[in-house]
Amino acid sequence: MKNRPTVGEILQAKGVSRRGFLKYCATTASILALPPSMIPRIAAAIENTRRPSVIWLSFQECTGCTESLTRSAAPTVEGLIFDAISLDYHHTLQAAAGEQAEAARHAAMEENDGGYLVLVDGSIPLGNPGFSTIAGISNVEMLKETVAGAAAVVAIGSCAAFGGIPGADPNPTGAVSVMDLVKDKPVINVPGCPPIPMVMTAVLTHFLTFGTIPDLDKHGRPMTFFGTTIHDRCYRRPFYEQGKFAKTFDDEGAKAGWCLFKLGCKGPTTYNACATTKWNSGTSFPIEAGHPCLGCSEPNFWDRGGFYEPLSTGHFGSGEKLAGAAVAGVALGVAAAAAGRRRQAKFTGEG
Amino acid sequence: MDLLEFAKGPALQVAAYILVAGSIWRFVGIMLLKEKPDYSEPRKSAGILAALKVIYTRSFSAAPFKRATMYPKMMAYVMHIGLFAVVFLFVPHIMFFEGFLGFEWPGLPNSVIFFLAVAAVVSGIALLVRRLTNPVLRLISNFDDYFSWLVTILPFVTGLMIPVRMGVRYETLLAIHILSVALLMIWLPFGKLGHTFLVFITRGTTGMVFERKGAKT
Amino acid sequence: MTTVDGRHTIDREAERLAYKPPEIRHDKQGDMGPKERIDAAMYNFVKNFNTQTASYLDGCLHCGMCADACHFHVRTDDPRYTPIWKIELFKRTYKRQVGPFAFFYRLLGLKRKVTLQDLEEWQHLIYDSCTVCGRCSLVCPMGIDIAGLVSMARHGMFKAGLVPHELHEVARTSAETGSPLGISPEKFDERVEWMADEHDVDIPMDVDQADVLAVMSSIEINKYPQSIAATAKILNAAGESWTFRTDGFEATNFGLLSGNPEWQKASTMKIIDAAIKIGAKTVVLPECGHAYMALRWQGANMYGKPLPFKVLHISEYMADALNSGKIKVKKVDKSVTYHDPCQVSRRGGATQAARDVIRHLGVDFREMEYGGDYNWCCGGGGGVVTIKRADPLRHRAFKLKMDQVEKTEADELLSSCANCRQSFDDSQQHFNWDYTMGSLMEMVAENLEGGKS
Repeated sequence: MKNRPTVGEILQAKGVSRRGFLKYCATTASILALPPSMIPRIAAAIENTRRPSVIWLSFQECTGCTESLTRSAAPTVEGLIFDAISLDYHHTLQAAAGEQAEAARHAAMEENDGGYLVLVDGSIPLGNPGFSTIAGISNVEMLKETVAGAAAVVAIGSCAAFGGIPGADPNPTGAVSVMDLVKDKPVINVPGCPPIPMVMTAVLTHFLTFGTIPDLDKHGRPMTFFGTTIHDRCYRRPFYEQGKFAKTFDDEGAKAGWCLFKLGCKGPTTYNACATTKWNSGTSFPIEAGHPCLGCSEPNFWDRGGFYEPLSTGHFGSGEKLAGAAVAGVALGVAAAAAGRRRQAKFTGEG
Repeated sequence: MDLLEFAKGPALQVAAYILVAGSIWRFVGIMLLKEKPDYSEPRKSAGILAALKVIYTRSFSAAPFKRATMYPKMMAYVMHIGLFAVVFLFVPHIMFFEGFLGFEWPGLPNSVIFFLAVAAVVSGIALLVRRLTNPVLRLISNFDDYFSWLVTILPFVTGLMIPVRMGVRYETLLAIHILSVALLMIWLPFGKLGHTFLVFITRGTTGMVFERKGAKT
Repeated sequence: MTTVDGRHTIDREAERLAYKPPEIRHDKQGDMGPKERIDAAMYNFVKNFNTQTASYLDGCLHCGMCADACHFHVRTDDPRYTPIWKIELFKRTYKRQVGPFAFFYRLLGLKRKVTLQDLEEWQHLIYDSCTVCGRCSLVCPMGIDIAGLVSMARHGMFKAGLVPHELHEVARTSAETGSPLGISPEKFDERVEWMADEHDVDIPMDVDQADVLAVMSSIEINKYPQSIAATAKILNAAGESWTFRTDGFEATNFGLLSGNPEWQKASTMKIIDAAIKIGAKTVVLPECGHAYMALRWQGANMYGKPLPFKVLHISEYMADALNSGKIKVKKVDKSVTYHDPCQVSRRGGATQAARDVIRHLGVDFREMEYGGDYNWCCGGGGGVVTIKRADPLRHRAFKLKMDQVEKTEADELLSSCANCRQSFDDSQQHFNWDYTMGSLMEMVAENLEGGKS
C-alpha cells in the first residue's frame, strides 16, 4: 500500500482543481449531515489516504449499478473519486480475465487482509450453485471467501441489498441478498435500481474519512441518504397537499406537473435521496421527468403491487369473498334470530 | 410481509369481512325476530315516508329540548361531520375508495380536512369528559360506550399523526392508521357503533308506529 | 359540615330541607321464592321481545338525553330517573337472552343475569318514577320509544309479584270487581240514576241496540259524577242513539298500568263484548288518558283482530260533533289553558281534537309554552298517582306543571283526563295552589246551545 499514491495526488494528476475538490468535500459533508467544521477533515482524509483496496463482486445483476457509476456524461468528482480507489477486481471493468483476474482478487485479499472493502452488486442464487458462477466458482462461495478478510461489505443496488429482481416472486434461482449471507461483517446497503452514484461515493468517503461505517436504518441503509422519503422532499409535494393529482400520463394534471400519487407513485413509502441529489449530475429524477417513483430502493419493491396502483389502494379480497361474508352474515343472523326465538319459546313455553 | 402490507392486505380484508358479516348478522338477527301485528285502526296511513320523515327529523332536537341537549348535540354534530368529511372527502381516502369502487368524487383541501379532524377529536374528547363527569352518563355507561369511543377516536388520532410524523416512519404510521381503521370496522357491527345502520331501523320504526297513531313524531 | 349516613342524605333540592326518604320499601306480592320471581320476570320480559323492541333495545347509544325530557329527573337530578336506565334490566335481559349476540353475552358473561335484588331495586324506577308519559320518546335521537318499553317491562315485574302494593291492590280490585274502586254495576246504575235526577237529563242505560256505547272512568263515577251527566248531555244534544251498559261501563284499565296483560285483556274485552252486543258503531271513551291507549290503540290487539267499531275519545267525539255542526256551543268569555293528557295527545295522536273544541268555545285560548305534544305530565299517569310512597316525587315533578300553567295566566285550567284531574287535585291541595283543574267536557256540556238536554 505504501507505494500507492494518495487520493489527493491522483485527483491532482487528473486535473481536479483544489476549489472543485473542496466543493466536493463540502457537498459530501452536507449530504452526510456533517457540520461544516468537518469539511477540512474530509478533505484531509481523502487527500492523504492511500488508495483503499476495493474488490467488486458482480453476481446476478444487470450491470446497471456499474453503469450508473461510470456512465456520467462528463467526468465528475464522484466518478474521479471512484476512479481513485484501487479497484483491484471488477470483472466487468478490468482488462484481465480468467485465472489472471482471479489471481488479482486473491492478491488483493492477501495484501490488504482485514482492510479491504468488498462491494457487491447482484443477488446470490442459493437454488443451484450452477445458476451463476465466475471462473467456475459459485457466487455464494466466492462471496464467503472474499468477505472473510474484508473490513466491511457494501451491497450496491437493490439486488445485492434485498434480492432485487432475481429475488422477486417466484424467485426461480433462490436468490438472496448479501445481508442474508454475511453476518459477521458490517454490511452497508446502498439499494436502488440503480443506486445514486453520489450515495455510493459518499459512503466510501465516509469510510475513508472516519474509518467507520455511517449510521444505518433498519434496512442497513445509511440514514443520511435513506432517512427521508422521496415524498418528503418532492418538489411536487404542494400539489399533494392541495389535492391536485395527475390522473393519466397525458391529462392536464400531468402537463401541469401535479402530484403523481394517483398514478402509483411510491414516493411516500420510499426512502432515498433522488429528490435532493437527483440524477445525471443533478439534472432530474423520475418524478421530475413525469413518472411516478417505483420505490426501487425498498425491499421487495418488485412484489409490492402494481407500479401504477396508488398507494391508497386497499386489498379487500375479491367481491366473491365479500359476498361470501354477506352470506355468512345472513346465516348467522338467521341462526341468531332462531336461537333468540328458541330461547323465547323456552322461557315462555310458546312457539 | 411488513406491517403496512399486513395492514393493507389481510388486516383490512378480514376487517371488511367481519364488518359485512357482522352488520348483516345483527340486522337479520333483529329483523327475523317475531313481528307483532297491530290490528288497531290507523289514524293515518304510515308507510316508508313516515319512516323517512323521522329518520330526518330526529337529527334535530325538538324546540322544548333544544337548550338541554344543545351541548352534546353540537359536539356530536362536529364529531359526525368531521367523521364524514375525513372518511369521504379526504383525497387519499377518496382514492382508497376509488381503488375498489372504480369512481371518484371531489374532495376537500387537506387543510380543511385537518381542521375538521382536529375539531372532531376535540369534540370527541369533550364528549368523553362529559361521559365521565355527568352523573347520568356515568350511571348508564358501560364498556361498550368507552371502547366504542376509543375505536372511533383512534383512526382520527393515528391519521393526524401521519403528517405530524414525530420521527416515526410514514409506513409505520400509515400501517397503524389502517390497523386502527380495521379495528373500528371489526367493532362497528357489534357494539353501539351499530347505530350506523340501526338508526335507520329505530327511527324508521318509531316514524311508522307513531305516524300511524297520528302522534307527534 | 356535618355528615349524615349515606342512605339518609339531606335532600338540598327539596322544597323544604328534608331527608331523602329511604327507598327500602320493596313491595312483594305472593309467596314465590326468589328463583320463581326471577323466572317469572324473565319469562315476561322475554315475551315482549320482537323486531320493534329488539331494535330499540339494541339501538340505545347511552347519550343520556332522555334524562332531560323526564320530569322526575329534571326535578331531582337523580341519575337513576334517566328513562333508559329504568328499563336497564329489560335491556340487559334482551341482550343476554334474545339479541343477535346473546350467545356471546352469555358465553363471556358480558351481561349479568338479573337478580332478585336488581328487580326489587328497579320496582321504584319502573313504577314510582315513570308515568309512561312518553316525553323521553320524543327526545331520543335514535327514536327509541322508551315509554313503550317501560310498559312492557312492567309485565315482568307484575308476574314476579314486584308491584307497589297500592297499584297492585287497585289492579286486583279492578280484576275482581270490574272497577279499580270497586264500583259494582249496581252502584254505577245508582249513580247514573242520581245524576239523571240531579241534572235533569235522560241517561239511557242497558239499551239493547245503540249506535254509540259510552263508558266511564271509575274516578269520574266516584269523584266527578257530574261527568256522567255531561257525557249524557252531549250525546243527547248530538241526537245519538247511545247507551251506558252495566256489563261494560269501566274504561280504566289497571291491568295495563300495573303490567298484567291478562287483566288488561279482561277489562278491554268487557267493553268490546258490550259494544258488539248492542251493535255499536262507536265507543266513546271518557275523559281518561290511559283508557284511550288501552282501547283505541291496544284494544284490537287484545281482541286479536280489528275492532268492529270506531273508538273515540270524548274530546275527539266533541270535536267531530262541533265541526260537523251536530252540536253547538255558546261562546265562553274566559281565558283558558289546556293540559294535554299524555296518552290522548302525545301518545294517542288526538292533540288537535281538544283544540278544535276549544276553538268552538270561543275562549281566549292560551297554549302553554311547549304545550300540546311536549306537555309536561301531571305526574300521576301510569298508575303513579295510586302509589302513596311516590307522592313526594310526584309533587316535586308537579312544580314543572305549575310553572307551565301559571305562565299562561289563564282564568281556567282545563284538561280531558280524570286521572290527570285527580292528580292535579291532589297536588293542588299539597301546594295550596290557586288553579283547579276543570273538565273540557263539562265546559262543553254547560254551554251547549239548543238541542235536547
